[in-house]
Amino acid sequence: MKEKAVRVKANWPVMILLLLGLSTIAFPLYMAIVIAFKQPSEMTNTISGILSLPSKWSFSNFSQAMEVTDFWHSLRNSILITVVTVILSILLHSLLGYAVGRNRSHSRFYKFVYLFVVSGMFVPFAILMMPLAKQTASMGLGNWAGVILLYVVFYMPMNVLLYSGYLVNIPVALEEAARVDGASTWRTYWKVIFPLMTPMHATVAIITSLAVWNDVMTPLVIMSGTGQNTLPLAQLNFQTQFGTNYNLAFASYLLALIPILIFYIICQKQIINGVVNGAVK
Amino acid sequence: MKNDRKRTFLLMTIPILALFICFNTIPLIRGIIYSFTNFKGFGTYDYVGFRNYMDLFTDTRVWNSYLFTFKLAICATIVTNVISLLLALGLNSKIRAKGFFRAAYFLPNVLGALVVGYVFQYLFTYILPALGDLTGSGALGKSMLASEKTAWIAIMIVCCWQNIAMNTIIYISGLQTVPEDVYEAGSLDGATGWRKFRHLTFPLIIPFFTINTVLCVKNFLMVFDQIMAMTQGGPAQSTESISYLIYNNGMKGGSFGYQSANAVIFFIVIVAISAAQMSFANRKEEQL
Amino acid sequence: MREKGKKYLGAAIAAGMVSVLFLSGCSGNNGSGAKTEIEILQYKPEAATYFDKIEEQFNATHDNIHLTISSPYDASTIMRTRFIREDYPDIIGIGGDINYSYFTDAEILADVSDYDGLGDIKEAYVDIAEALEIIPTDGTYMVPYMANAAGILYNKEMFEEHGWEIPTTWDELIQLCEEIQGEGILPFYFGFRDTWTCLAPWNGIAVDLAPADLCRQVNKGTATFTEGYEETAEKYIKLIEYGPKDPIAYGYNDACTAFARGESAMYPIGSYAVPQILSVNPEMNIDSFVMPASNKKDGNTLNSGIDLGFCVTSACENKEAAYEVLDFLLENENIQDYVDAQNAIPCKEGDFDLAPMVDGMREYIDSGNMTDYQDHYYPSEMAVDAILQTYVLNEDMDAFLARFDKDWQRYNRDIIRKVQMHEEEHGSTK
Repeated sequence: MKEKAVRVKANWPVMILLLLGLSTIAFPLYMAIVIAFKQPSEMTNTISGILSLPSKWSFSNFSQAMEVTDFWHSLRNSILITVVTVILSILLHSLLGYAVGRNRSHSRFYKFVYLFVVSGMFVPFAILMMPLAKQTASMGLGNWAGVILLYVVFYMPMNVLLYSGYLVNIPVALEEAARVDGASTWRTYWKVIFPLMTPMHATVAIITSLAVWNDVMTPLVIMSGTGQNTLPLAQLNFQTQFGTNYNLAFASYLLALIPILIFYIICQKQIINGVVNGAVK
Repeated sequence: MKNDRKRTFLLMTIPILALFICFNTIPLIRGIIYSFTNFKGFGTYDYVGFRNYMDLFTDTRVWNSYLFTFKLAICATIVTNVISLLLALGLNSKIRAKGFFRAAYFLPNVLGALVVGYVFQYLFTYILPALGDLTGSGALGKSMLASEKTAWIAIMIVCCWQNIAMNTIIYISGLQTVPEDVYEAGSLDGATGWRKFRHLTFPLIIPFFTINTVLCVKNFLMVFDQIMAMTQGGPAQSTESISYLIYNNGMKGGSFGYQSANAVIFFIVIVAISAAQMSFANRKEEQL
Repeated sequence: MREKGKKYLGAAIAAGMVSVLFLSGCSGNNGSGAKTEIEILQYKPEAATYFDKIEEQFNATHDNIHLTISSPYDASTIMRTRFIREDYPDIIGIGGDINYSYFTDAEILADVSDYDGLGDIKEAYVDIAEALEIIPTDGTYMVPYMANAAGILYNKEMFEEHGWEIPTTWDELIQLCEEIQGEGILPFYFGFRDTWTCLAPWNGIAVDLAPADLCRQVNKGTATFTEGYEETAEKYIKLIEYGPKDPIAYGYNDACTAFARGESAMYPIGSYAVPQILSVNPEMNIDSFVMPASNKKDGNTLNSGIDLGFCVTSACENKEAAYEVLDFLLENENIQDYVDAQNAIPCKEGDFDLAPMVDGMREYIDSGNMTDYQDHYYPSEMAVDAILQTYVLNEDMDAFLARFDKDWQRYNRDIIRKVQMHEEEHGSTK
């Protein structure tokens, strides 16, 4: 968008390097795709066997995987949990990140809040699990709402770290200008700062959504017994103690990958679109 | 006016902080209380005082898990940061098919642990040894996952492979805050390549460098998924990470109280390290 | 543009909040009338289809009770979190292992010795369940449902082709391995990268050679593993020699695939591996025989334990209804369905059609010559499987046995104290 037409000469050496690096991703992906199309009876331990193309390309694994995981239903649950978590995270975490980021250099209280919240990142989940299971149940939150609430709390440390780090590069002068015009701090935040942080919103959205999308433990512990599944929970059906149907599982993982990949592609455009460049100086 | 601003900041902070305390701090305190008991995770329990903490210091398995975890975290943090910074610079430079590349490099992060585990186990068990035979290299001839000396490297490779995507995104968003006129001014002065990066770009993305190191250290110190997917702590318990031990023995096994104590110590250790790391980085930032 | 965007955002948040509230409201009511609710939580997700069918049939034929069965993945975590929430299911379906011992000890389970159906269960399995109680009690806390057995799976076609005989003593087994090796075939396959599989051959050898109550003896302080497991450890390492060069390199799945593809003649693992093997090679003809670790022909015993048993929780309000559900589960027809679907061995007396791969064990099953897995007494956090993996790597038997004893004391401290206190109070027990 802002690239000047005169200078679009591509940087070929970099592109070649990037293409080479891509092979480290292409190979596992190829293997995953091939296995997702094969039948269990085509699985071998020989290299040529595993890398060979499936004897016939059929989507039966995919349709079967969708049936086993009750795909649309689980997908709906996963999307709902992820979307609500991401929206709440962006709103609440950026706000806290802002309050803390603007004040921690001169206020002891905010410095303490910052360290207090950020250190929450290092609490091993295993130690929280039991107390949380008890607490959420007694508060009537042994369901989606509880899971979302917990996610908002779990990812708060990381996101506050990200937001307050990003703020360092947004000059205070911008807010002061707005304040001179008579806008309140609250209004200034939503009018000036919040839009300026778009690249970070997108980053937070990606990181948070990905973590939520793939998480198994929280819904397993909190939602157990509600009869509701998220996609990763439903995918556990493919693994039992004594046997795993890799073909179905891989098909299902590839299916689950698509929505989050699309979301990523949308968000990463925001990282670039929201360039602060002009605005900052 | 000034007071009004202060009040607004407080109003922003207090409710969110309350939420955090309710669902993070309070359960943590409960967890700390369990660490003074012989609680199995169910049923009744007794208070045992500091017994769990004393036992931790004499438990070689715990010591080994700390050694392994820290070795992994340090190496993986360095490798991940270097590669993802290079990748971010590459993906941010003037290339064709930018969207495609960015999406492709993001993929490792989305593939589920089961897929990653299977593919990499296959790679280490069959493909690399076959390559080793082909090239006559003895070091590659044996599965890396089957030896206590090399299994951690295999884990590190997988950890880096998966985490690079995330760090790259953060670096890319950091690079967006580097104003283009900085580059332009730089190129007028004839600053190119490394020097441009070292003196113009890098200082501006130091906050992101700090964030990435902290996140890396955190992610790798708490490594769990990759261990479950690749080795389950083997061979010969050489890849038991601290989180793995806490989860496996505390949640799955019957030493919830004991592993809670382990978790408390672990928490204190990481907080101390990160605090040191951040204050060091802050000083650096101020210098520049 | 910005304004509009924000409106959308606002709408989205509002929608999100409302749906969260709505959904949380929903899950609260279970709306049902006078019917007694019975909930079973069982730990074998692979049998989910079977239990779904049972649930349906039961509800169709019973007006007074409504049955719900859940078969989640990772049921042990779910059970623990539900216990801590004090949200107990009425019946839990678990294996006869250390978790059952813990649950009994924690008084989560109710005494079911007044249940009539218990009379139809094979003595041997009821005994196995009772032996798992940390402190022996008068009560019975589990209705054993299905058993599994572990021995050595073998490729029947390959055996017939070469005219190999089924070994009945240790020497015969070693001789057979030599013979197989002589023909350029790998005798065994192992998947020791998946640590838990290290226990499969270990259990098989240990039941023949070590006293069945060795772990309890150690807890009482009357025996040590260094003595009790010496021969087992020796023979274990001997067996590994006949496997692939680097057994730690391969996982359980690799080993199943290799065995299915005829890369080895035998595979020392439980009957539970059969479905995975057959998924790779549906045509394969698999049978099994009992691990002959002893040199006395009648010194060998089948390694068999309770794979699935039902326990009524103390929190269950309507024990009669729970027993009615158990009666239904124990109907011969339903047991046969389970056996067919899972290749399991029923714990109930009676003439059931068993899967062909347990043919070689039939004799032992019918005569009741079976002994529980030693690992059902091992606390999981002690990670005996990993200790064995270490032993396979370094082959240092003395260090292995010494560590076994030392770690046992460490991980069983509370149990040992309890047992010894009990001993002091009651003198010696059975």
